[in-house]
Amino acid sequence: MTERPAENLAVRTLEAWYGESKVLHGMTFDVRAGEVVTLLGRNGAGKTTTLKAIMGLIERREGSIRLDGAELVAVPPYGVARRGIAFCPEERGIFSSLSVRENLLLPPVVAEGGMGVDRILDLFPNLRERLDSPGTKLSGGEQQMLALGRILRTGARVLLLDEPTEGLAPVIIRQIGRTIETLKTLGFTILLVEQNVAFASGIADRHYVVELGRVVDEIPGPELETRLDALKGYLGL
Amino acid sequence: MTMILGVPAAVLFGQLLLGLINGAFYAMLSLGLAVIFGMMNIVNFAHGAQYMLGAMTAWLLLTYLGIGYWWALLLVPLMVGASGLLLERFVLRRLYRLDHLYGMLLTFGLALVLQGLLTNAFGSSGQPYSIPAELMGGRNLGFMFLPNYRAWVIAASLLVCLTTWYVIERTRLGAYLRAATENPMLVQAFGIRVPRMIMLTYGAGVGLAALAGVLAAPVYQVGPTMGADLIIVVFAVVVIGGMGSIMGSIVTGFLVGLIEGLTKAFYPELSSTVVFVVMAVVLMVRPAGLFGSKPEQAQNHRQVLDGASTSPRTQTIQFLVMAALFAAAPLVVYPGFMMKAMLFALFACAFNLIAGYGKLVSFGHAMFLGTAGYVSGHAAKSWGLTPELAVLAGTAAAALLGLASGWLAIRRSGIYFAMVTLAFAQMIYFVALQAPFTGGEDGLQAIPRGHLFGLIDLSRPANLYGFVLAIFLGGFYLIMRVVGSPFGLVLRGISDHETRAQSLGLETERFKLVAFTLSAALSGLAGATKAITSQIATLVDVHWSMSGEVLLMTFLGGVGTLFGPVVGAFVVVAMQNYLAALGQWVIVLHGTIFVLCVLIFRRGIVGEASLLLRRWSARPAAAAHPAAALTPHRQPAGH
Repeated sequence: MTERPAENLAVRTLEAWYGESKVLHGMTFDVRAGEVVTLLGRNGAGKTTTLKAIMGLIERREGSIRLDGAELVAVPPYGVARRGIAFCPEERGIFSSLSVRENLLLPPVVAEGGMGVDRILDLFPNLRERLDSPGTKLSGGEQQMLALGRILRTGARVLLLDEPTEGLAPVIIRQIGRTIETLKTLGFTILLVEQNVAFASGIADRHYVVELGRVVDEIPGPELETRLDALKGYLGL
Repeated sequence: MTMILGVPAAVLFGQLLLGLINGAFYAMLSLGLAVIFGMMNIVNFAHGAQYMLGAMTAWLLLTYLGIGYWWALLLVPLMVGASGLLLERFVLRRLYRLDHLYGMLLTFGLALVLQGLLTNAFGSSGQPYSIPAELMGGRNLGFMFLPNYRAWVIAASLLVCLTTWYVIERTRLGAYLRAATENPMLVQAFGIRVPRMIMLTYGAGVGLAALAGVLAAPVYQVGPTMGADLIIVVFAVVVIGGMGSIMGSIVTGFLVGLIEGLTKAFYPELSSTVVFVVMAVVLMVRPAGLFGSKPEQAQNHRQVLDGASTSPRTQTIQFLVMAALFAAAPLVVYPGFMMKAMLFALFACAFNLIAGYGKLVSFGHAMFLGTAGYVSGHAAKSWGLTPELAVLAGTAAAALLGLASGWLAIRRSGIYFAMVTLAFAQMIYFVALQAPFTGGEDGLQAIPRGHLFGLIDLSRPANLYGFVLAIFLGGFYLIMRVVGSPFGLVLRGISDHETRAQSLGLETERFKLVAFTLSAALSGLAGATKAITSQIATLVDVHWSMSGEVLLMTFLGGVGTLFGPVVGAFVVVAMQNYLAALGQWVIVLHGTIFVLCVLIFRRGIVGEASLLLRRWSARPAAAAHPAAALTPHRQPAGH
């Protein structure tokens, strides 16, 4: 899988609105192929909105979103997905009227090279014996695994993950962390929104600090520990 | 001859078969409604009209082009389905972010347009459509005679229903549909073109209705009105079953048909109302419906409207101006027109009290108008009551009916409330059609006007006008005061955000019931006075089209505005009076106005006018902030 061409997500002066209120005020950042990059910031800083704006799941957006040079800002959500960006939402978005299997098979394949169902079930063994139960009968952790697992099948190479650790037990968080590391070694490009700094520091190559809808700082992964005080200032910890 | 519980076996089985046939159509139509509602959150009121269009198209193909039944079975669903695709693409798509009620209103308008146009072209009487040669005849089963065509209808509809169920519940396409029903945005984000899928779903749902129409053509008379009454029963079926489940729609459809058949065999008088009785019972014991998993969530953030509030003093001045104008009007306007318009205005204001301020849009308000009319007419004519007592009796009857139907109806909200009230009104219509004292098709004629308080002779035009004027102004003033009172504020609070109101400790159900009963009583006041004034009480006033008219008046004038319903009522009554020669075109016009109101004119005449006025008076301020002037005022959208 590593011989696949490199993806590169470049976001420039991205602005987005909910109705009349402007939420993103010129987000600018890059995610290079094969990198894991996090967006850190307080509640309401615009992290989730950034992911949604990339996917086109927001009423109005302006600026530039390029994937390997191709402009996406005017592309509807299904088009963004078909160009190889997959989204795992904060609320996980497991469909209650679909079984686990149906949930897993739902996202259409957009490119070759996606993982097989067996491979995904190897990553998340818990799901294997639950395949025929309704999606929302799963525990929170299992739902998160399902939400993550189902976008690996599609062949998308850029994954947007919105707070995959939110509300989960430490043992599950570690499992998710290992999975993301595995995905990284498989060459996936990952943009991660996190509030859990400890989790983010362990796996990300770089961090962007988001405040009031723009990037206010960039911290290389190894420096996170040393710049923890500055970061705590940003996050209000 | 074998008898079962006092009924000949052949009759019983015959009625059961008929019930199964009706049930087949209920199932196919409620299935389509459920699929469309699931995907689009639109209660497709035009479903009955599209079923009718299917039958009519089959008849037209046969009559004018010689294309027979089997080809029609294939072609008609495609043709009518294609019209559904266009409708979704160019009209319905604009409604998705609005309250669900707008979809119901718009498709109601479309149903009127379709029905009116086809009545214009082909008359309202039914046309026969012969059974295809292959399915002529029948077989004797020993206990009954089974006509081949009827067996075919049941088999075909079962096949259609089960195929639809299979596609939705067991295939990949169905998984997309179910997922998009839950979370369309996320499904889009997976790379599925949801808008196109919605369009195709609507087309398929409409095609299904048309297919039902073709199947129905040889069973029932083919005519422009064949869908209207059917769709009301189907709404009741939907309320009974709950729209959440596909299999639930199918089972409920057939079940209701069988219950109707049984009733026809054992107690025919009840057969046309039994569906609504079942609905009432289901609402009492299981409000979400037999197969509904949970009651619909209150749509808290989607606003139907936002009425401009004026100060009480301005309102009082406006009220006095209106009173003076109406008092002087007979000098220039035909008094008969004024009286009719004022009474409809009162009706519309009463409707607006619950629809505009309580956001409970009833599709059955005619039941209060009509019932009160019958009761006061009967009281004046048969009991010899003086007019004020007759009007009082009518008003009381409407209030009681409001209390009883409201007690059941407020268990649901939004579109379900609309369907429940529509179904109850249809039940009242059938009662009025059959009850001994209503005069059936003829209605009550020559109701005496009598002497007010035994003194004032209402047969004198000036007295009569004064009587109607006093009742209108009194009713209007009461509504004005109620809206401005703490009770009115609570009502608006509940309609804005019911759960929030509950969390403040308000017993919201009680407020809604009181408001509904008050609205019913005032509608009754209008209906009772109308019966005394016009000296007749007929089925027109209890028919569903009257419920549609009061909706039209209110939405055209401006729902949630104080004077909007008055303006709307005058416009609609004027249209009826002066365009009466156009016949069915008036229906088409009504329907078109509905569609336009929903698409471009949601605030109504008064709402749009006051908005313009406010903008105009705010102009200097806007000039100081050019950015604000450039931003268009948007309808608040639901998030």
